[in-house]
Amino acid sequence: MDRNFKLILLTCMLLAVIGASACIGGEKDETAKGDSFGENSQDLVVGISSDVNNWYLDKFADGDARFVWSQVYETLVRLDSNLNIIPGLAESWETPDNGTTWLFHLRKNVTFHDGTPFNADSVVFSYSDKSYVRQAVLKPIKSVESLDNYTVKFVLQKPMPLPFYLTHVAWPIMGPGCLDKAGNFVKPVGTGPFKFESQTKDQEIVLTRNDAYWGNKSLLDKVIFKVIPDPSTQVMAFENGELDMIIKVPEYDVKRLEAKNGIQVQRKLSTFTDFLQFNCDKTPFNDTKVRQSVAYAIDTKALVNDVLNGVGKPAGGRPYSPNMMYSDPDLKTYSQDLDKSKALLKEVGWEDSNGDGILEKDGSPLNCTLLVSKGAWAARHTLMAQVVQEDLRKIGMNVGIQVLDEGAISKLEGVGNFGMILRTGYFVWGPYPKHFFIHHSKSPYSHYHNETYDQLVDAADSTIDPQKQKELYYALQTFVIKEVPAFYLVHEEKVVATGPSVKGFVITAEDPWLDLSGVYLERK
Amino acid sequence: MKRPISENDRNVRRISMWKYIAKRLAMVLVVIAGVTLVSFFAMYLAPGDPAELIALERYGQDLDASQIESVREAEGLNAPVYFQYFIWLDHLLHLDLGRSIITSDDVLEEIILKLPATIELTVAGLLISLLIALPIGILSALQKNALLDNCCAFFSLIGISIPNFWLGILLIWLFSLTLHIFPSYGYGSLSHLALPALTLGISMSSITARLTRASLMEVMEKEYILAARARGFDEYTVVLRHALKNALLPVVTFAGMQLGYLLGGAVIVETIFSWPGIGKLLVDSIFARDFSMVQGCVLFIAVLFSLSSLAVDILYAVLDPRIRYDMYD
Repeated sequence: MDRNFKLILLTCMLLAVIGASACIGGEKDETAKGDSFGENSQDLVVGISSDVNNWYLDKFADGDARFVWSQVYETLVRLDSNLNIIPGLAESWETPDNGTTWLFHLRKNVTFHDGTPFNADSVVFSYSDKSYVRQAVLKPIKSVESLDNYTVKFVLQKPMPLPFYLTHVAWPIMGPGCLDKAGNFVKPVGTGPFKFESQTKDQEIVLTRNDAYWGNKSLLDKVIFKVIPDPSTQVMAFENGELDMIIKVPEYDVKRLEAKNGIQVQRKLSTFTDFLQFNCDKTPFNDTKVRQSVAYAIDTKALVNDVLNGVGKPAGGRPYSPNMMYSDPDLKTYSQDLDKSKALLKEVGWEDSNGDGILEKDGSPLNCTLLVSKGAWAARHTLMAQVVQEDLRKIGMNVGIQVLDEGAISKLEGVGNFGMILRTGYFVWGPYPKHFFIHHSKSPYSHYHNETYDQLVDAADSTIDPQKQKELYYALQTFVIKEVPAFYLVHEEKVVATGPSVKGFVITAEDPWLDLSGVYLERK
Repeated sequence: MKRPISENDRNVRRISMWKYIAKRLAMVLVVIAGVTLVSFFAMYLAPGDPAELIALERYGQDLDASQIESVREAEGLNAPVYFQYFIWLDHLLHLDLGRSIITSDDVLEEIILKLPATIELTVAGLLISLLIALPIGILSALQKNALLDNCCAFFSLIGISIPNFWLGILLIWLFSLTLHIFPSYGYGSLSHLALPALTLGISMSSITARLTRASLMEVMEKEYILAARARGFDEYTVVLRHALKNALLPVVTFAGMQLGYLLGGAVIVETIFSWPGIGKLLVDSIFARDFSMVQGCVLFIAVLFSLSSLAVDILYAVLDPRIRYDMYD
C-alpha cells in the first residue's frame, strides 16, 4: 500500500470516529437560540448543578437532587412558603403520651404515579429498616406500624417532636411499586405533582405532569432539569434563553440580573446559616473569652455587604435564621467592637510582648488555622475566610487559611488538628432548630463538651409542649451567644431567577425545595 | 539476530509490522496492571477515612457511627490494601468492574456510556489544535523573525497563558450569549461540540505551533531541501512535499502525548460545558473515594492511551520509511 494512501486512510478513520460518535451520542438537535421552544410550549427548563444519582430511600439524595425529588415525592408533613407546618400526605397527627407514640391520619384518595393507592402500608414501607434515615436522624424510631388503612403508628425510644422531622424531602413517601418482584429498585414512584419520565445521566431529567395529583394540578406539561455543574455557564445559558429558571444565582450576578429587563429575581431568607466552628478542645479556643473576642472582632455586616454582595443577612452570632421556629426576637447579637475584643484577650493574658502585631501568651504566639472546604461552596467560603482572617489580624490573632478537600478536612478534624472550620448550615432542613445537636458531646462533629448544653439540647428535643420548647430553645440561643461554641456568621438567602416566559412563580423559604405550583409559561 | 533485509521487500516488512503490533498489544496488559496498581494505592494514601467519606456521600451529613462501620464492612475496606487489590484484579479477570460504591451503578456501563462523548471531544480538540497550530507553525518558520512570526509567537504565548476555564467562559459569552451561534452547554450534536473542542484546541495549539516552527526551521536547513530547490521545485512543493513530513515527527509525538492528557484530563472543559466525559467522572469519583469507579476510569484511560500511543508509533512508520520495526526482531 502506498504511504500516502495509508495517511489518507488514517485521516478518514479519524473523521469516521468523530462522525460515528456524534451520531451515537446525539439525540435531538438543539439550536443555540432559546426560542427553539414551540409557541405555547408548557415545558419548563430548569438548571441544576448536579445529577440525581439516587431515587431510592436507601441513600441520601445529595447535591441538587432534592429539588427534583420535591416534584416527584412528598412528605407526610409539609411547610408553607413561610416555613409554617401544614398537613402534607398526613392530614392530622397526635400523640397520646406526650411524644413517645405518634399517630398520623393519612389523606384519603391519593394515588401513586403507578396507580396504586397511598395508604398506611406505603408509609410503613417508606420508613422500613431499608430506609437509611432509620439509621441516622430517625434512629429513635422503634417501630412503624399500620393500625388501619389510613392510620400509622410510630413508636419512639424517647419523646420527640416527630412531625418536625418528617418535612424533609430526603425521606419522603415512596410507593412499594418502585421495587420489582425481586426487591430491586426499578423506577421512582411518588405522589407528587410530577411523574418521572426519563433521565439521561449527567445531562437531563424529564418529568411529566401527574394528572391524578390530589392537590392543585400543575399548569405545566413537563419540567426538564438540565444538569450544568458550572454556575457561570448556568447564568449564561439562562440569559441566553436556553434555561427558563435557575435555582441558585451566584451572589456576584444577583444585582446584574435584577437590572435586566424581563428577568425576575426572587430572594428569601432560608434555613441555613454559615458558621465558624471552634476547636474548643485545644488552645486558644478552649478559653471562652478568646471565642467571645473573635465574636466581637468579626464584622458580619461587612461580610454580607462586601463579600456576598448583600445576599443574605448578617447573623452576628445568632444560631439560626429568624424565620425559623422559636427564634428569640430580643436576642442580643454581636456587632463588631474591636476594643472590647482586644480587652477580652488582654484579660486572659494575651499580650503583644514583641511588637510584631501578634499577641503572645507564655511564649507562644496566637496562631491558629482556619479550614475551608473545597466543595460546592468554596467560592463564597474562601472569600469569607479571608475577611475573617483580616478582621482577626486587627486584634492580634494570626489565622492561617487552609483550603482542603473533604477527605483532608475530615482527617484533621478527626485528630483535632485545627483551630476553626468554616461550615455551611447543612445540618438543618426545616424550621425546627435540630442543628443545635452539632455541639452536643454525642455528635461526631462536635468539638465542644459541656454538660449544661447537652442537657438543654436533650430536654428541648424531648418535649412536645410548645411553651416548654420555646423556653428551652430561647435558653439555647442565649447559651450559644454567651459561650460561643461556634460563631454564626451569615443567614443564607435563596436566590431564584426566572426568565420572561415564566409566570406565577413564588419563592418559598424552604431549602431545598422547589415549589412550582401555579407556574405556567407564556412563550412568545 | 539480525538478518539482512531488502528495503524493497514489502512482504517481509508487513509481517514484521504485525508482529510489532502484537508485541505492543501484549505490553498494554503490563501497562494496565502497573497503572491500576499505582492508582489503587494512591487512593489509599489520600487523606481521610474512605469509609467515612463514602458514608457521607451515601447518607448525608447526619451520620451515625454505625453507618460508617457498615460501609467499611460492606465494601471490604477492613482488609489489607494489597488484598483488596487482588480481589479487584480477580473480578477484572471475569470482566467484572464492579459497581460504583456511591451510586451502585455498574462501572463498565457508566464508562461505556461516557466513552463516545470523551472520544468525540478528544479527537475534535486534537484536530482543531492541529488545524490551528500547523498553519501558524509553518508560516512562522518560513517568515523567520518577520512581523508574522512575532504575531504567531504572541498568539502562542497568550494560548499557553490563558487558563482553560476562563477561555471556555469567554467563548460561551462570545459565541452563545452575544452571537447566538452555538449552544452554551450540553451534548448531542456538532454544534454542542464546537465550543468545548475550540476551548481545548486553542489551549493546546500554542505549544504545537512552536514545536512545528522549530522543527520545520531545522528541516529547512537540511541539504536535501537545498537539493530540491536546485532541482527546480517551487517553494510550495519544497515545503509541503519535502520538508513538512520530516518536520512532523516531533509534532506527532507531542500530539500523541496530548491525546493521553485529553482522555482523562479534560475535566475543566467537561465541567464548564456540562460535557458527559470520563475526565469529570474520574475527578468526582476520586473526591468521593469511589474506588471501583476510579479503577474503572483509570483502566479505560490507560487502555485508550496505550492504543493511541501505538497508533502514533505506526504513524511514524508511515511518515518516515527509515523507521522500521523489523529491526527489533
